[in-house]
Amino acid sequence: MDLFVQAVLNGVLLGLVYGLVALGLSLIWGVTDIVNLAHAEYLMWALYATYWLWALGRLDPVYAVPLVVPASALLGYLTYRLLIRRVLAAPMVSQIFATFGLLFFLRYAAFAGFGPDVHGVWGSRLEGSLALGDLYLSRPRVAAAVVSLLAYGGLWLFLHRTKPGKALQATAQDRMVAQTLGIDPDRMFALSWSLGVGTVGLAAVFLSPFYQVSPTIGDTFLLLAFASVVLGGFDSVSGALVGGVGIGLVENVLGALIAPTFKLLFVFIVFLLVLVVRPTGLLGER
Amino acid sequence: MIPALGLAVLVALPWMVADSFFLNAMILVFLFGTLASAWNLIGGYAGQLSFGHAVFFGLGAYTSTVLLSRHGVVPWVGGAVGAVLAAALSLAVGYPTFRLRRHFFALATLALGEIARITFLNWEYVGAAIGLYVPLQFRNRLSYLMWDAKPPYYLAALALGVLAVGVTAVVDRGRMGIYLRAINQDEDAARAVGLDTLRYKQWAMAVSAALTALAGTLYAQYVLYIDPYNVLTARISLLVVVIALIGGRGTVWGPVVGAAFIVLLSEYTRSTLGHLGQGYDYILFGLLIMLLALYEPRGAMGVVRRLRRRSPLPVAGAAKDRPPEAEAGPPTAEALLVARGMTKRFGGIVALDGVSLQVRRGEIVGVIGPNGAGKSTLFDCITGFQRPDAGTVEVGGLSLRHQPPHRIVHHGVVRTFQLLRIFPELTVRENLLVAQPHRAESPWAALRPSPREVEERAARWMRVVGLEGYRDVPAGELSYGQQKLLSLAMALMTGADVVLLDEPTAGVNPAVIQEVVACIRELNRGGQTFVVIEHNMEVIDALAHRVYFMADGRVLAEGTPQQVRQNPQVLEAYYGR
Repeated sequence: MDLFVQAVLNGVLLGLVYGLVALGLSLIWGVTDIVNLAHAEYLMWALYATYWLWALGRLDPVYAVPLVVPASALLGYLTYRLLIRRVLAAPMVSQIFATFGLLFFLRYAAFAGFGPDVHGVWGSRLEGSLALGDLYLSRPRVAAAVVSLLAYGGLWLFLHRTKPGKALQATAQDRMVAQTLGIDPDRMFALSWSLGVGTVGLAAVFLSPFYQVSPTIGDTFLLLAFASVVLGGFDSVSGALVGGVGIGLVENVLGALIAPTFKLLFVFIVFLLVLVVRPTGLLGER
Repeated sequence: MIPALGLAVLVALPWMVADSFFLNAMILVFLFGTLASAWNLIGGYAGQLSFGHAVFFGLGAYTSTVLLSRHGVVPWVGGAVGAVLAAALSLAVGYPTFRLRRHFFALATLALGEIARITFLNWEYVGAAIGLYVPLQFRNRLSYLMWDAKPPYYLAALALGVLAVGVTAVVDRGRMGIYLRAINQDEDAARAVGLDTLRYKQWAMAVSAALTALAGTLYAQYVLYIDPYNVLTARISLLVVVIALIGGRGTVWGPVVGAAFIVLLSEYTRSTLGHLGQGYDYILFGLLIMLLALYEPRGAMGVVRRLRRRSPLPVAGAAKDRPPEAEAGPPTAEALLVARGMTKRFGGIVALDGVSLQVRRGEIVGVIGPNGAGKSTLFDCITGFQRPDAGTVEVGGLSLRHQPPHRIVHHGVVRTFQLLRIFPELTVRENLLVAQPHRAESPWAALRPSPREVEERAARWMRVVGLEGYRDVPAGELSYGQQKLLSLAMALMTGADVVLLDEPTAGVNPAVIQEVVACIRELNRGGQTFVVIEHNMEVIDALAHRVYFMADGRVLAEGTPQQVRQNPQVLEAYYGR
């Protein structure tokens, strides 16, 4: 029983972080109608940034936030300016190629720069665990989950309580109508890419104390993020969070109950099953 | 001639160059050329991007190796079994995901790759993470596909590459290539002219997977050792996509050109810059793909095509060859298309509220009404693009209930779209060939070019709508009015008994409107039945025998144009009380 409860807790904690990674994918998808295949490559680069700041600069991940998050947002902004903006009107196939090329570029640039080895941050301030009766919660995971929730709260307030946030939502619903209302879609697209990749940077910083980085982690995280968005539904940003928690639960609970080696297998099978069972309800289109 | 010479040189090459590093590089060129050609069938022609082709590659390698090492089955048989398994798996994945937008298929195949990798890494029977050795054989080398020198492998890989390019060439020259490219450009438009798009995508996917599995078997026989890291890695899946994209998707030679460029570059940079580790060449490929997405989505072959630009557009205004004036027969009494009680709700909005409509053979029926009256929704429900909540549709007494759009075309009802839908990158002739009757056609039959009578019919419809001078011009380069005429010709090309036209003259300049009206009228004299949604009352007056007036999802009036015009409800809806 304890094992089960422990697995559920771990699943929720990790799922909240998945939700934060998926948030950016969902936001960019919703606003610009582009699925960024390179999404998880940003996560990988932000993890490397956090790692090198710690390894070379002795900077604890907690203090890396003000460096890594703006740098990620800038990277997202530049991606939009230099690449995405030019394929917005192109056929979907060209859009997929563009982000696929970006994926390849970012992944192998990391390969060339950092080699294939696995790196991890040790001895962060966050390390340790919290006892909760018979259960133990790892402090870095709790911190990551709390930060995810805070980021979600902040984004919710931004989207619903501020003018730029509402403009962003309007653009997501109908960019033509938004344009006639005096909203510049170009700026909104740039904003969604900055926010979307910025939140990935935040997720990376708080993943770093318990997740090791190598150049090829992208495939897994892209699928995790995409599965979260699919599972949670595409209607709202909160869908990514709910989906992320669902994915975290599938991974940890089934992993603990059946076999830990297969935990990602369960996630991907659930993902494919959702595609089979609820194909039309997923995107809410046509 | 040139391909034959090239092939002769390639066959003779191992006896001219004995360098084993070079031969190894060429074997990899052929293998990856095969993989990229196979991927190109589904990813390039049909536009369904797979990021999981390593699964089929791995399945081919594992099936033949397991059968050989555990049951002594020769790889010829094992390879065939692997190809069948790969095709079956590809159908199982394609069936649910082909209905969704392309991202889903792309990511579903990526997930499939991860599932396969994790499964094989932990599956003891196939050697788990340790992998499998191909047991060495020293006799019957040809039946065991196992040699101690490179040239035989070179020839085997070359043969497989020739097979893959050959299949692609057959697809490209037959109707199949046109169909797949049409599906790539606008799937709904392809379904609207009667193409069973799911079936063709499934065919392309299964053939692609089978070819990929064969390459997997040959690879296993060549390296004699397989594990999940060398045959099931995402790196292979992604590299295949890169090769096809850089070489040029949707062309016969693109994937081969891409394989030669990328494999040779990789192999030779790795041998000279080996200490740098892999990565630098891949960064370059990533950059190249981004640049191609921005400037030349057709890859290297697109650049080649650009260099030999074709001649400019023909001059417009060629003479028309209208069908001979048939006896102007009045509409018959036979009810051809009957819709009863059609109802469709979108959430709280009732778009159609019990609409009934009857069309007699040889008639032109007009459907008029203000915007939002439900006219296009009625067409959508009749042609299977939307499923009505209630109501029935019959054609010649046969129910069309729950039939998919392409099947409804086979039963004799075809439609055009209000927002024009043609295949902009296909030529006028190819657009018409996509619309040929598909009723008794199988994907295998579609490997042949269109029969001569079909080509002749296409030529006739081109003449009827005055596009015969534009035969080989991409439809996207036509004027809007010409595109409308083309979509009319495509609807007629299907041979359907009833043609539903959704605003055939909207957005068309007045001179072309006259042309469209004359064309429809003359076709009707020849016995063709039409249902026309139209806002232009002059067009309705000139064409329609009978008119239905719709507002708020209901039919409010029915009769001759004259009668409907004077109906008080019509006047109220248009002008207010």
